[in-house]
Amino acid sequence: MTAVCREGTMRRAGEERMLRYTLKRMLIGVLSLIVLATVTFFLVRIMPGSPFQQGGVSSQVVEAVEEEYGLNEPIFTQYLNYMGGLLKGDFGISYQDPSTEVAEVIKRAWPVTASVGIAALAVSVLLGTGLGILRAVSEKRAVREIISGAGMLAAGIPTFAAAILLLLLFSVRLKWLPASGLLSPAHYILPVTALALYPAAVISRLTSNALSAEMGKAYYLFARAKGLGKWRAVFTHALKNAYLPVLNYVGPASASLLTGSFVIESIFTIPGLGREFVGSITNRDYTLILGLTVFMGAVVIAVNLATDLLCAWLSPETGRAYKKADGRQRK
Amino acid sequence: MERMSLLEVERLNVKYRTEQGVRHVLRDVSFTVEKGEIAGIVGESGSGKTTAMLAVMGLLGQDASVGCEKLALDGKRPVPGQSAAMVFQDSLSCLNPSVRIGRQIAETVKIRRKCSRSEAEQRAEELLDMVGISDPHRRMRQYPSELSGGMRQRVVIAIALACEPDLIIADEPTTALDAAVQSQILLLLKRIVKETGTSLLLVSHDLGVTAALCKTVYVLHEGTVVESGNAEEIFYAPRHGYTRALLTRAGKIHQKSAEAHGKEPVQEEERRAEGEPLVRAERITKEYGAGEGLCGLSLEIAQGETLALVGESGSGKTTFAKILSGVMEADGGALFYRGECLNRNLRKSGTGRKIQMVFQDPYSALNPCLTVGEALLEAARGPRRTETESRVEEMLEMVGMSGGDARRYPADFSGGQRQRIGIARALITEPELLICDEAAASLDAEAKEQILALLEEIKERRKISCLFISHDIGLVRRISDRVAVIYGGYVVETGRTKEICSDPWHPYTKQLLEAVLEPDPLRASKIRAVPLRESGGKDTGCPFAGRCGYALDCCRRENPETYVFGDREIACFLYSEKHSGKRADGYRMMSQI
Amino acid sequence: MRGRAGRIWKKYTGGSKMAAAGCAILALWIILAIAVPLFGPWSWSEQNAEIRNQTSSLAHWFGTDRFGRDLFARVWYGAGLSLFIGIVSALINGGIGVMYGAVCGYAGGKTDMLLMRAADIISSIPSMLYVILITLVMGAGAGSIILGLCVAGWISMARIVRGEIIRLKEADYACAARMEGIPPLRILVRHLLPNAAGPILVNLIFLVPQAVFTEAFLSFLGVGIAAPAASLGTIIQEARSQMILYPYQMIWPLLVLCVMILALNMIGTAVEEKTGGRRGWSE
Repeated sequence: MTAVCREGTMRRAGEERMLRYTLKRMLIGVLSLIVLATVTFFLVRIMPGSPFQQGGVSSQVVEAVEEEYGLNEPIFTQYLNYMGGLLKGDFGISYQDPSTEVAEVIKRAWPVTASVGIAALAVSVLLGTGLGILRAVSEKRAVREIISGAGMLAAGIPTFAAAILLLLLFSVRLKWLPASGLLSPAHYILPVTALALYPAAVISRLTSNALSAEMGKAYYLFARAKGLGKWRAVFTHALKNAYLPVLNYVGPASASLLTGSFVIESIFTIPGLGREFVGSITNRDYTLILGLTVFMGAVVIAVNLATDLLCAWLSPETGRAYKKADGRQRK
Repeated sequence: MERMSLLEVERLNVKYRTEQGVRHVLRDVSFTVEKGEIAGIVGESGSGKTTAMLAVMGLLGQDASVGCEKLALDGKRPVPGQSAAMVFQDSLSCLNPSVRIGRQIAETVKIRRKCSRSEAEQRAEELLDMVGISDPHRRMRQYPSELSGGMRQRVVIAIALACEPDLIIADEPTTALDAAVQSQILLLLKRIVKETGTSLLLVSHDLGVTAALCKTVYVLHEGTVVESGNAEEIFYAPRHGYTRALLTRAGKIHQKSAEAHGKEPVQEEERRAEGEPLVRAERITKEYGAGEGLCGLSLEIAQGETLALVGESGSGKTTFAKILSGVMEADGGALFYRGECLNRNLRKSGTGRKIQMVFQDPYSALNPCLTVGEALLEAARGPRRTETESRVEEMLEMVGMSGGDARRYPADFSGGQRQRIGIARALITEPELLICDEAAASLDAEAKEQILALLEEIKERRKISCLFISHDIGLVRRISDRVAVIYGGYVVETGRTKEICSDPWHPYTKQLLEAVLEPDPLRASKIRAVPLRESGGKDTGCPFAGRCGYALDCCRRENPETYVFGDREIACFLYSEKHSGKRADGYRMMSQI
Repeated sequence: MRGRAGRIWKKYTGGSKMAAAGCAILALWIILAIAVPLFGPWSWSEQNAEIRNQTSSLAHWFGTDRFGRDLFARVWYGAGLSLFIGIVSALINGGIGVMYGAVCGYAGGKTDMLLMRAADIISSIPSMLYVILITLVMGAGAGSIILGLCVAGWISMARIVRGEIIRLKEADYACAARMEGIPPLRILVRHLLPNAAGPILVNLIFLVPQAVFTEAFLSFLGVGIAAPAASLGTIIQEARSQMILYPYQMIWPLLVLCVMILALNMIGTAVEEKTGGRRGWSE
């Protein structure tokens, strides 16, 4: 019992440090978000031309509309109003269509984007990790070469190119899969594949490189020496240490998947965030551009924060000691 | 009928396929290990020891091809984790850093015994207890980085025992450890062989370690066994030239060369008369890592003297070297150089260049992107850009290299040669103080001997002061005038080398001296266990109290002051007035232990 | 001179076949991109209503587009422009990234924290936004696209260089240099950066395909190069409306683009494997 108590105090010191780190990172995240909103606000404001100056609208009408939207006030007041609104979760009203709020657009489009993004994330992580492990562990040269070759090909095709090729092949030529929309699970197959291809290639490469490095370390050899089979030693020992660099990639990559791909959504006509964003830019819909950028920024910052915390949590004390051991070994 | 040996290896050959072609690492290596016996394989680094052991275990990688006439453990192929187990050198890197100790042992038990998890955990606790780890229940839940080096090595041994093998192969099991911990681990191995009846194959470069444990010894040199026999034959009557060379070198390193002996170190009176010492450190403190910090370290280095800083790894030696050299800033305390406070400004004004360092690792001490000449020139010029190249050649010749080497890159040289270049680099700025941080520790015996001789010559010719940092008291005995023994971040004893080595006063110094193993089976086999308890990381009390056989009550409560007796300074309560009684003026302090 | 070039080649690629193949393809692509628009019989921009939407023939190897322009000439002109944008922006990004990362890594502490957070914020703004802004202000063209790519493209390089410098500045030789009294800037330039050459080179090589990637993607969305000039991205975009009728108009430029990126990736991977520089084809 006493042993448990003593251990408790030791752990508590670690937890406290962890908590402080978490709070610090969250504070930095919030600050980054404020800076991001500010920067974007002014960037959008210096875009030339008013959204209402299109066509033959008279200047009086434009002025009236601008007054309605508060555009005639000093820019700093506009900024304060906007930031105040953001605090309450109010992203403003779309310039193009005064009947819709930006928040509503996000509410409508994000679940669509996120569903495709999560599916693509799952596919790329599973496929990438699996192939990466196979490449590191396999003793057959052919298997290793095929996986690295396929990875390099997959990484050489831009996402939009992959999407077009898949579309041409599977829905235009072979007519196996639907080409647009997201009505049934079958509709997911093409966009998810196109999205997952590149990250899967990167993940497989990172996994296999990190795992090969771990398998060269003394603890892996020791695990084998104490009777663990190859696969077992990989899964119970090497993988956990090898996965940190992979997580460091997966974090930012998942952020970009979750905020949607402009191209994929426009090629497969998926009503997601990316398409809204492209639309808002072509329409000069300032509030929508601003709102979407801030929202996407928030998602990116939140996911990156989660990744950092996960990495720190995965290597509590061990992370530091491990780096030290590594350095010592390098001699 | 002749009894069969437990392990029989006959004509083992290992070749590596590399880009440059086939490299023959082992040629016709044969050895046997009897049941319940401790056999040893001795050889320098690069002789193929570890390759041989991995070949026996069947754990060599894909690019190695193994051929042998016979490889049998009890008549069968050795099975890792079943009939054979292995203990590796560096316990920190061979335990998985992100898996708790308990699981690493229990999974071994589970594979071996095919039992349930709770049974395996219970067995793991028993094993931890068996290898002498106190409070095994708590240790089970810790990560490797939370344990000390000695304890980690015990865990590694526990894992080897969990395999319940017929043979344990121990590859340099104590090389990464300090002398005092080394003797404990060796005793543990000895006890295990006795209690469990397994055989032990001990692989080491250290003749002392081999002499302490092994009955049969094989000497491995460049992939072949050059000599084998029982320990007495090998150590007392070596037949092969290589074995003889190994033994002479091992003996020589620990003796001061004759001429150096004749010359008395700088006299104490002289030193005081000169006034200010070259360097004076006062109560330096530094928080750094786990237990590698300094807490109130004070010492002086006189002009032209060699002071050795001795202590185990983690005692703060390197931290002090870094602070003295200006690479790191101290948290508290002050450094004085010729009486002036050694701060940033003074260092910038050129005094920084007067303190130079020779690093432990010759492979990271030279910039791989610069040729030797460029590196030396860079050092010679420093912030000014005036120096010419003439001195580069002169310097290289002084350390025994040729002037033509200036155009080559560090990668073209061996460890010993690089260390010479490192010395040349340090000397080219014409320093007044040279810090040698374990400068010879990573070299093999021959290169070590040459580097030591070079340092002695430089000391003689250039009359510079030297701070020689080492964990090896044998080296210190040879090279230094005075010794400062450091433990837990502060100096416990200082004095003339000869006096300290022949008559240690502080209990810790005594332990250090006793733990030195000589390449002599009779003497080395008498290693004694040093009492070792966990020092619980308390803030008060003598840091050594936990390991001290003479600890008094006050040792655990308060820090001892430093008591001065002539040229000897000691921080131990045994020498305080309170404990050794009032002293008359003419009283001569004697060792209290 | 040849010996020196050979040594450098050996040092950074290990003489690998993959790197040689990548370089060969890249060289071929560069030659074609220069020679075809210059010496070819067809202009890349001249429209000809009589030969619209033709498939591959002896006269027009890749066929013609809907305005009757020869696709072979057009694709190679576009490849040249893409490669030019890729290489120029990679060099600029590389330069900025090395300097920024080196300063962060060597200074450490608060400076490092502030500068890296600023980089984080810049990298979390979608690149489309400022590319559009820049094209609106400066007009569409190769210049504004390069500028747009350089707003955030240097951040990956800065992160890598920062990490390398932090690792290297603890090396014994760096400590020795400080003891020798060598000023910080010189330590950085002479002692630390050359030792980070491997990772820097790897990242520089990978910056090229990334920039080509991003340019193609922006052009594909219609915010990049303006007509009549064409990069591979714009050619693909133009073909999109007739994708189902005339897929070859899209497949040829796609193929040229993919092989180009593949060649660059091959060189990068070979250098990465030899020098141990990290981060392959990741963002």
